[in-house]
Amino acid sequence: MIQLYRVTKYYEGVPALNDVSFIVNKGEFAFVTGPSGAGKTTLLKIIFCVERADEGQIIIQGQNTFRLKPSSIPYLRRNMGFVFQDYKLLLHKSIFENIALALKVVGTPYGDIERRAYQVLKKVGMENKRHLVPPKLSGGEQQKVAVARALVNEPQMLLADEPTGNLDPESAHEVFGLFRDINMKGTTVLVATHDWETVKKMQRRIITMERGMVTDDGSKGAAKPHPRISTKQSGGVNETRLIEGEP
Amino acid sequence: MRGYGPFYFLGEAFRGLRANSVVNLLAVGTISMAMLIVGFFLIVFFHIQSAVSTMSDRLEMSVYLKEGLTQHEKDFLLYRLKTEPGVKKVVFLSKAEALAEFTKELKGQETLIQGLGENPLPDSYELNFDRHYAESRRLEALAKKISSYPGVEDVTYGKQGAEILSGLYKLLTYGGLSLAVLLGISVVFIISNSVRLALYSRGQEIELMQWIGATRSFIQGPFLIEGTFLAMLGSALAIGILAALYYSLPTDVMLFLSRMNGLDFLPPSVVTYMIVGSGLLGLIGGMISVNKFLE
Repeated sequence: MIQLYRVTKYYEGVPALNDVSFIVNKGEFAFVTGPSGAGKTTLLKIIFCVERADEGQIIIQGQNTFRLKPSSIPYLRRNMGFVFQDYKLLLHKSIFENIALALKVVGTPYGDIERRAYQVLKKVGMENKRHLVPPKLSGGEQQKVAVARALVNEPQMLLADEPTGNLDPESAHEVFGLFRDINMKGTTVLVATHDWETVKKMQRRIITMERGMVTDDGSKGAAKPHPRISTKQSGGVNETRLIEGEP
Repeated sequence: MRGYGPFYFLGEAFRGLRANSVVNLLAVGTISMAMLIVGFFLIVFFHIQSAVSTMSDRLEMSVYLKEGLTQHEKDFLLYRLKTEPGVKKVVFLSKAEALAEFTKELKGQETLIQGLGENPLPDSYELNFDRHYAESRRLEALAKKISSYPGVEDVTYGKQGAEILSGLYKLLTYGGLSLAVLLGISVVFIISNSVRLALYSRGQEIELMQWIGATRSFIQGPFLIEGTFLAMLGSALAIGILAALYYSLPTDVMLFLSRMNGLDFLPPSVVTYMIVGSGLLGLIGGMISVNKFLE
């Protein structure tokens, strides 16, 4: 499903990704963890064809992204849902309209839009709030809507970049629960996060990154948090931060 | 492949136009000012062109014949003159007819002619030309050519008049073209700015659409329609203002203008070209901004 071979990406001569290689199989659920600046977001952007790698090969759903014409990228993205840390919901549109936009973009017939939007909102438990605008919802609810939008076109793969970064532990738990359910129905899920507590609980594959390199891959929750990541509970919010110089 | 038809894009375009109504109204106003200048210039152009055409029709060339030519030689010369390209009409003017005309022109001073004794004027052929051939360089070349024909004594034509007419034609054509190009560029610039503002105001939505798999044409369609519509609206407004101004001219001026060349307001075909042309410029302006934004 996702194959990366010796992928390197530079920003102004500094490597953001350095010789990254891994494979995520169809139907797999994997986390990418690491401290801020480890290259998690760059990695997801490259998989999503927002950025181009400078070296290496990336094969997504059997297609080598280096050989992909710019006009083909939208069609590749239609098979990949993306969930952002800041939700990226259109604030002046209702929840229903936000979902409908994703359906319109792929040319869904008008007659099907309402039904499909309702179904996907029901899946995430937000069907009763479909007429509200995002600012009327809590962070957790907004992220659920964002997950619904990512899923509405039934993608084969779901990518998420720090999806619980702005959420309280309870909401984070609910969102990860959604990811687990989606994965159980066959969708490949790749989540970049530094929410170590949740990662540990989920018992899934963990790809650990540091300074643009993969430092550990494959262990299911048995992996220890990176020495430079510390987790602690603060004010009910799961806070993860870098401890400089900690062994 | 599934997709949305023109109604979806039209709906989205009008939603965008409504959302940025102030900016769009300003754009329409500015475009209509530019198109007002174009329209005014076109009215002047058509009136002057028509006047120039009338003058071209009156442009004549006189081919004076040598004394003592036989009828056969005159007929042969007539045949050669008639077959020259651009020659519309050839009329034979005998010595006697030429003198009669000359006498008429010298009304009140006929004694001058009487003093000449024998009729000194030669037989001649008077040539009229098609409008497009009434051009000084062509006429000069033709005069030179005809001078070399056997039996031709001299060739004269309104050289100065022809040169002035040619100059006027050139000035109108090149001046008009330059002005049209300049104003065309300004329309493209105005539309491209207006569409750019619309793009920035919906930047978040466009970025999101790219992330969720929207094709380039799906994103740019409504903006291109907006650009085209704004330019066409500006142009139509300018034509409306121009027509109102034209028809509010005093009756005497109107009568003078229409008697001069039989021209009313801009012909419908020109009005259509103006609106469609500005629509195309609007489309180009929109494309420039959208492409730059999506890059």
